[in-house]
Amino acid sequence: MINPRRTYWGGLALTGLMVLGSCGGGDAPGGSSTGATNVDAASNVVAVVVDAGPTATATNSAVNTLYTTVTLCVPGSTTQCQTIDHIQVDTGSSGLRVLAQALTLSLPLTLASNGDNLLECTQFADGYSWGPVATADLQVSGETASQLPIQVIGDSAFAAVPLDCTGSGQTAEDTVATFGANGILGISTFEQDCGTTCATNPANGFYYSCTTNGYCVGIEAPVTSQVLNPVPLFATDNNGTIISLPAVSSPGAVTVTGSLIFGIDTETNNASGTQTLLTVDPVYGYFTTVFAGQSLSDSFLDSGSNGIFFNDGSITQCTSFTGFYCPAATQSLSATLMGQNGVSTTASFSVGNAETLTNDNPTFAAIPALAGTYSADDQAFDWGLPFFFGRRVATVIENHSTAVGTGPYFAF
Amino acid sequence: MAALGGSAAAIAGEAGQLKASVKTTAHTNYRVHEMQLPSGTVLREFADAQGTVFAVAWSGPAIPNLRQALGQYFDVYANATRTKHSGRSHLEIRQDALVVQSSGHMRAFRGRAYLPRALPPETSLDELR
Repeated sequence: MINPRRTYWGGLALTGLMVLGSCGGGDAPGGSSTGATNVDAASNVVAVVVDAGPTATATNSAVNTLYTTVTLCVPGSTTQCQTIDHIQVDTGSSGLRVLAQALTLSLPLTLASNGDNLLECTQFADGYSWGPVATADLQVSGETASQLPIQVIGDSAFAAVPLDCTGSGQTAEDTVATFGANGILGISTFEQDCGTTCATNPANGFYYSCTTNGYCVGIEAPVTSQVLNPVPLFATDNNGTIISLPAVSSPGAVTVTGSLIFGIDTETNNASGTQTLLTVDPVYGYFTTVFAGQSLSDSFLDSGSNGIFFNDGSITQCTSFTGFYCPAATQSLSATLMGQNGVSTTASFSVGNAETLTNDNPTFAAIPALAGTYSADDQAFDWGLPFFFGRRVATVIENHSTAVGTGPYFAF
Repeated sequence: MAALGGSAAAIAGEAGQLKASVKTTAHTNYRVHEMQLPSGTVLREFADAQGTVFAVAWSGPAIPNLRQALGQYFDVYANATRTKHSGRSHLEIRQDALVVQSSGHMRAFRGRAYLPRALPPETSLDELR
């Protein structure tokens, strides 16, 4: 079925793909392409790349960070548009966030229920990103999400950050350099970034209303005003995503290219097939990992984590790379991933010496054996981007169904 | 204000300010004061026999205000050097006098901070959650 909206935007989507061609970097080193994902032919496929990032320097470059390119337009406009590369692809969050530094468009700002501007303090484990909620039309591949609430991070018009926000993280991630990307495309199993908690509780920690002179208070944000996972807003191909990446052989690769495919069982290129389907809990998105005799109930798949993070007291930790593992020899391990539906599958992974791997290979953006501790939670297992290498991982969104199941679930 | 390195006697006042309810449980060598914050996040403060907070731990949909929870140690945390390639989902600060560990993603954060030199005897790190 042809979606008229996609046809309408066809020219602009093509522009986006041409830009992608120049940043994609050619064939994936260290692996072969998986599946028949022809980026140029399908309207629901956008190229993704693992590279050193938008502000790579000799001493500070991205590792195991997946990027794509999107086009934003002023709502309703076909001319006031901007294509932005190095948008991180993150299955661990929901919503599109763009650094003000990378944005040239002037987008309409969202108002809170009290008439002031709606702002968000986006929390990450290592820092916070502050900025207004704005509205844009998003185009990615041939898909369009119109009137999408997004966050603009680091907008100088809202420089005063509430103390509750600055206190929530170690550093402000409000520039392209500190954020490590021009933006982030959150395509988790959740439809909104916060959900009903933020719609009913003014002290939710995320949403604030701010006056023009910088006085901010916590406020409820209706779920429709929250920064939204854009995929459910697509006219079709809106039930989830597939990240398809080639295998990366040890010790790594300078760049890796793959595909982000929209929709599951909606086109010829996104059929479910016989993949293992692991449902996750609807509150946190967790499934269970059985590792080293322990059943870890806080387990998740997260393309936004740059390693495999779990606890194993028998593996030597690094001295300078705090929080990462540094065994003398690379260890080959395996664990069993089990969904809430009881379905399970075994996955192998490698734990290498994080210091040696990165120091000996300073140009590598993809290092599959990068792993570290998850020391704040003894029930956690974080399957980060290395898990996605050599796989085709489907993320199905809550309240959406495919031919084989209803989200939230992962399949691979 | 009860915070890391501070006195647990201030916890009642803090809970009032945060509109949080406090639940206290006694362990062999320390007490745990557990607060449900308005954001839905649970904050636990671990106080030794003298009432000094030697660890805080949190779990929930939002990271608590660590300027309050870490108190005098917040600046140490905020100015600490980060591990290269530490990424967005994990942070670990490990110094002789302070350890801070923060992990997770939207809707599901966990973390803790503790003073390694101030742990009561026979206290396992596994208990500080």
